[in-house]
Amino acid sequence: MHILLIEDDTEAARVLVKGLRESGYTVDHAADGRDGLSRALAGKLDLIVTDRMLPHIDGLAIIQQLRRARLATPVLVLSALGTVDDRIRGLKAGGDDYLTKPFAFAELLARIEALLRRGPGATESTVLRVADLEFDLLARRVTRSGREIELTAREQKLLEFLMRREGQVVTRTMLLEGVWDLHFDPQSNLVDVHISRLRQAIDRGAERLLIHTVRGSGYVLREEDEE
Amino acid sequence: MGRAMNRPMKDARRWGLFNTSAFRMSMGYTLLVTLAVCVTLGSTFYLTQRIIQGDVDLIIDTEIKSLQNQYVRSGVPGLTEEINLRIDSWGRIGAVYMLAGPKFDRLAGNVTNWPFDGAPAEPYPEFRIESIEPGQRSVHPVRAAVRKLPNGDWLLVGTDMSQDRRYVRTFQIATLWGIGLSILAAAIAGFSFTFRLARRVGDVTDTCVRIMSGEQGHRLPVIGKSDEFDALATSVNRVLDRLEEQTRTLRATFDSVAHDLRAPLHRLRTRMDAVLRLPALESGIREPVESALREVDRLQRTLATLLQIALAESGAPLASPAPVDIGELADELTELFEPVARESGLTLTGHADRGVVVEGNRQLLAQLITNLLENALKYVPAGGRIEVTVKRLAGRAHLIITDNGPGMPAEERQRAGQPFARIGQRSGLEGSGLGLSLVSAIARLHRARLTLESNDPGLRAVVSLPLSDAQVSSESLSRSISA
Repeated sequence: MHILLIEDDTEAARVLVKGLRESGYTVDHAADGRDGLSRALAGKLDLIVTDRMLPHIDGLAIIQQLRRARLATPVLVLSALGTVDDRIRGLKAGGDDYLTKPFAFAELLARIEALLRRGPGATESTVLRVADLEFDLLARRVTRSGREIELTAREQKLLEFLMRREGQVVTRTMLLEGVWDLHFDPQSNLVDVHISRLRQAIDRGAERLLIHTVRGSGYVLREEDEE
Repeated sequence: MGRAMNRPMKDARRWGLFNTSAFRMSMGYTLLVTLAVCVTLGSTFYLTQRIIQGDVDLIIDTEIKSLQNQYVRSGVPGLTEEINLRIDSWGRIGAVYMLAGPKFDRLAGNVTNWPFDGAPAEPYPEFRIESIEPGQRSVHPVRAAVRKLPNGDWLLVGTDMSQDRRYVRTFQIATLWGIGLSILAAAIAGFSFTFRLARRVGDVTDTCVRIMSGEQGHRLPVIGKSDEFDALATSVNRVLDRLEEQTRTLRATFDSVAHDLRAPLHRLRTRMDAVLRLPALESGIREPVESALREVDRLQRTLATLLQIALAESGAPLASPAPVDIGELADELTELFEPVARESGLTLTGHADRGVVVEGNRQLLAQLITNLLENALKYVPAGGRIEVTVKRLAGRAHLIITDNGPGMPAEERQRAGQPFARIGQRSGLEGSGLGLSLVSAIARLHRARLTLESNDPGLRAVVSLPLSDAQVSSESLSRSISA
């Protein structure tokens, strides 16, 4: 997977590039908007991670040029502004996701992974399946080994979010954004409490656990334990 | 949004016309003009009447004296002759004479009957004579004087006042018309003055309200008459330019401060992250780095909150406001926080009416509710209750969060609403105080009122928000249908 990082803060960029390469990505770095735009337009990229404020050409302008050139490469916007308006502007300009600086590397990694997997072949099936867990989206019915599990509407939404990203690490902020549409960080351990309740419902008494905690990152729903 | 704000404004202006200083001023002016005109014309009228009457009385006096002299010289026959002579010779227009015996029987003159009941008491008694002139019958008012002659006869000399009365009457009508027209003119001038003044002051008020609500590009109209209003508008516009410039500078400062503080924080965090990813990291190093990382995150959150508060307080408008169902949002957040509350041994319940829609930013309103809830979660001890209520009250949306915790001293409750207020007693806990400052900043941004009251025991936070346009008009529509 080929990622272009456009970031004028060379010190931060160096560490990020190193971290992403260690995670198995091919990474190019552009230190200003002009260089970034020309590399972005050259194509052959799977993802672009760009800073919002850049010398010469602004991050949002890069996205607009890209979209005008009919390039659908997913773009993750990094910003040091982080106000509500700023996020809206970033997404309106055609960005696919938005992350406020400073962020945890794990957060960046999880979001990159989510954007890369989001590809064109989004599943249209009406039943989600992970191991013996089944979610009938039309009937809004969840079963584990055929046994029905009672969930509230919000718990179902949370489970659906996790099942659609089977095997992917999902961070707490991604869950707050995706399930509750909240784009700020509450201080309480809200997500942990809701996950533990969902886990109670899904995994209680089951032989194999499906919902796993990833230390320092978030959660993942997958069939087998890695460790 | 501007449209909705305009409507009540214009109504207020229309009905408030009588309540303006311009109206009071022009009313006073009209009264003054009326008074001056009344006094001038009234006294002129009075004096004219007096002069006319004085002339008549002087003539009567003179003539009665000369007739009395005639009597002294030649007795009753001489006087009778003189009276007849004067009547026939048309010496004086409208002259009336009568010589009567002691029993008021007519001896001579052009009056047929003695007009009084005996001798009149007043010096110049008045009476009427009916005369039949060719074609029409007319009544003439007469002013007269009566003297008793030494032989017991009575002498009456008078003047027909018809002419004078007509003149006075005409003068009176003219005076009344004059007074009426002056009042009318003054009132019309006063009203148009009031209206024009109120309209121009209203324009200023409207523009100011619009600017306050965030439409910063607005300026006062300069009509080009270079009058005092244009001068006022020009200087107010200059102040507004300065303010807009300052707001722009402030925003630019926020942006660069945000950028300049976040960039090093970002570098710091990125490096610490990299350290934590090192293979074979000793736990003696991992733990302090992780705790330092949490500190960085806390710093970053505080910074974000401060910037958000500063931005809200700078008067920058709410970007892209949209209708938000505040009841639904409160329900969602209550549901989100309920398990957390339960873990702390608290009961969190919600009673939110649906369809209470306000104009605003969903994220910021969610943050407001979250901060109030987290505040309650932090301070209410186990076993306590927290209630979230949303209802429509007196044309506004009310969000009420109550708890039965320790509450807040009155002094702190008042201070908590102010920007950047820190709550003294509670600052031992992380993020306190600033959380409420953000609540009050978001409330202000939404033209809402935040009040913290005692719940006896506990705290009662009330956020009263204006309903969205559509909501207000549908409400008044349903009211008019039911009425």
